[in-house]
Amino acid sequence: MGGLTYTMLDTTNLSTAEMYGNVLCELGKEHPEIVGLSADLAKSTKIGLFAEKFPNKFFNTGIAEQNMFGIASGMAKCGLVPFVSTFAIFTSMRALDQVHTDICYQNLNVKMIATHAGLSFGQAGTTHHCTEDIAIMRSMANLKVIVPADGMETANAVVQAYETEGPVYIRINRGFDQKVYENTDYDFRIGKAHQLTDGNDLTIIACGSCVYQAIEAAKILSSVDGIKARVLNMHTIKPIDREAVLKAVYETRRIITVEDHNVMGGLGSAVAEVIIESGKGCAFRKLGIPDTFSIIGLHEDLMAYYEIDTNGIVENVRKLIGLEFEEDEDWEDEV
Amino acid sequence: MPLTDIEIKNLEKKAHELRSLCVDTVVWAGSGHIGGSLSAMDILTILYYKYLNIDPSKPLWEDRDRFILSKGHIGVGFAPVLADKGYIDKEQLKEYNHTGSELGMHLDSNKVPGVDASTGSLGHGLPIAVGMALAARINNKNYKTYCLLGDGECDEGSVWEAAMSIAHYKITNLVTIVDRNRCMIDGPTENVMSLEPFAKKWEAFGFIVKEVDGHNFTELSEAIEYALAEDKAPVVIIANTIKGCGIDFMEDNYKWHYGGLNSEKIAQSKESLEKYYKKRVKGA
Amino acid sequence: MATREDIYANKIFLNAVLPLVKTIIASNEKYAKKFKNKNGIVGVSAKDPDGKVGTHYIIENGDFTVVKGPNDKCDVELEFSSIKDLNDFFAGKSKKLPKIKGWYHVGLLTATLSVLMYMANLLGVTEPPQNDDEKDLVVKLYFSLLSTGISQLNKTGHPEVSKWVKKSPDRIFAWKVTGKPELSSYIRIKAGKSKAARGEYKRSKPFFTMRFDSTDSALGTLLGIDDMIEATITEKLIMEGAPEFGAQLGEYMLLVGSYAKGN
Repeated sequence: MGGLTYTMLDTTNLSTAEMYGNVLCELGKEHPEIVGLSADLAKSTKIGLFAEKFPNKFFNTGIAEQNMFGIASGMAKCGLVPFVSTFAIFTSMRALDQVHTDICYQNLNVKMIATHAGLSFGQAGTTHHCTEDIAIMRSMANLKVIVPADGMETANAVVQAYETEGPVYIRINRGFDQKVYENTDYDFRIGKAHQLTDGNDLTIIACGSCVYQAIEAAKILSSVDGIKARVLNMHTIKPIDREAVLKAVYETRRIITVEDHNVMGGLGSAVAEVIIESGKGCAFRKLGIPDTFSIIGLHEDLMAYYEIDTNGIVENVRKLIGLEFEEDEDWEDEV
Repeated sequence: MPLTDIEIKNLEKKAHELRSLCVDTVVWAGSGHIGGSLSAMDILTILYYKYLNIDPSKPLWEDRDRFILSKGHIGVGFAPVLADKGYIDKEQLKEYNHTGSELGMHLDSNKVPGVDASTGSLGHGLPIAVGMALAARINNKNYKTYCLLGDGECDEGSVWEAAMSIAHYKITNLVTIVDRNRCMIDGPTENVMSLEPFAKKWEAFGFIVKEVDGHNFTELSEAIEYALAEDKAPVVIIANTIKGCGIDFMEDNYKWHYGGLNSEKIAQSKESLEKYYKKRVKGA
Repeated sequence: MATREDIYANKIFLNAVLPLVKTIIASNEKYAKKFKNKNGIVGVSAKDPDGKVGTHYIIENGDFTVVKGPNDKCDVELEFSSIKDLNDFFAGKSKKLPKIKGWYHVGLLTATLSVLMYMANLLGVTEPPQNDDEKDLVVKLYFSLLSTGISQLNKTGHPEVSKWVKKSPDRIFAWKVTGKPELSSYIRIKAGKSKAARGEYKRSKPFFTMRFDSTDSALGTLLGIDDMIEATITEKLIMEGAPEFGAQLGEYMLLVGSYAKGN
């Protein structure tokens, strides 16, 4: 049974959302073409910080997401760079026609920051969860899909999203995330997975809030089971780092993916596609929400319930390691 | 400033040419949204030949007026206008809807110069126009944004979301025009999903409403100039039109929302358009 | 009565050392010629109250096949009166000859004895040979011997080795010399099971590889001339994988070596 593992003092430090708000303000100072939009969620998505600093560059459309994304498109057409914030469920579903047709099809420079992703808004229930957005957004042509692991990574992602032409979808939580990176000075590149631990027994590929869980799991597996796990932070789901996945297939031959998302169509499926197309044998398992609508609860408790937390990963790795997938009948020494 | 007689004469001639070219385009395309193209043609004519501050040789000119064809399905009506203005080559119209052609049922802003937004999914145009109008404000530009919607399209909630935000942000550098031809695919608008009291709805959303005859250049001109001058509240022009106007067997017939023309019908159409044109200029 | 230690040593001789004859014949023209056109079954065995043990070679027109276990249809058989006697003889600790059955198959007998002597010499060198081909051969023999030796110790239930193998997830440990893949050997271990094999493991990157930058470096470590830590520092020996596993592997290599030398 999970629970809060850090104190209230840590929370302001940690959050992905807080970082987003701050970084956007920094960017806004240097780049006047940046504008912000929200659909009555400025406070919740922390773009409110930007709104306070640049009131004439921020537009609240009220609870009207379709209008908001349409407006963002019109602005992008005129040379502005809109950062649009609302909950992931509304970006990826309520306004999907606009995201698809106005933004992706026209390949516009709109940066969509989708907050409260996965089960992070635990107690709000399914109407506010979003465990389908990676699957949906992955299938939009021209769109880059990024899932930062923590506050620092969010800062990097926001900056590089600004520097990248074309539509970008960044998926973050509601604000209470564990720290993975000490600062922003590590090799963050859109489209390149970041390796956090090394090992050749198996690879754990994770994104978002599950990256921290994967690192902790790797520590336990190493000290208790002597299993050396490689942990890859696959922050960019699209374009996925095929090279890193293929390397993991060849070198470790066992891959387990973990995401705060449905097992259908998200990170796990994206990785599976690469594995299958490689034609190489690889034991594989996807951890995520098992194609169901979630129960309510605190985010940490839900992660434990759906086995995407440290213990869940450890247990599933142990099962995966025991799987037979190579010819195992002949154990005679060669003469 | 009221239109001069010469201006009206020229606009009538141009509108007739364009209606004819539209029929040709529908034939080259195999079929098309002809009803709504014909009902909107006078509006398109007066905008493109009188009011829009544009330069076909510079389709991305930063200070140009923007035009969003929110009822994006009338590509077969819009493309002839763009061809006639010189944004695209008239020869391209012959390839309309052909595989691999730059011109398809719904015009692609990344492929066709002069198209400011890739519309087709109804309800998208007005929000985009809002974005462009706000961008003008942010970038300190004087260009105007025009948005032409269909009336059936106003069933979409996103249209009213945009309307609310236009009033809220006092966006007066945007001219909203509705092609009120009273027909949609499944029947007359009032049978499928009634819009009346239509004008009152817009007023309730904070708009000044100008109802005009969408086939009368003088009335259209007055309304547009009013909208351009008005800076206290946003203006919507409800242009009452006839779907399929100019072609007798199509007029006010919702079944001609979309269709193809065999050689007999082509001949009939051309004849009808001639007659219609003569009637228009006589009356002018 | 053979002790457990005797049995470990014996398994190493029978299943790891004796099969090396095939490697020699495959690599060396001179010895291959000795068996050309010869046919027959040659066995090396030891008598034991729990049943005879041995290894035999089936030679068909010069083609050599090694088969584990004794064969009562041998044309030539070197039969030791006990496991300990076999061990001591091959360790070079005793000169007590086995009973030679079928001595009248002179050709087959002399060929077998000469190759066994050659093998004993090669395995017994204290310094690297002068000849390059021989250097390669010695390294190849050692890699084979060590990989199979460790596997045999596991199969025979040696407490330390079998405990390590039992705990292990599916892993490959390999030995190689840079630029000479033909000399490689590896061992695959998984939850108590083990299998030694020749050549490079191709399916994926081995969990751990003990790699030498040249045959000279390999011989330096294998013959005990160089200190392993020194060799690692000077990069004659490169551990590809976590160093703890390198140390562990080194221990088991020494273990196999000590049995083979009769310690």
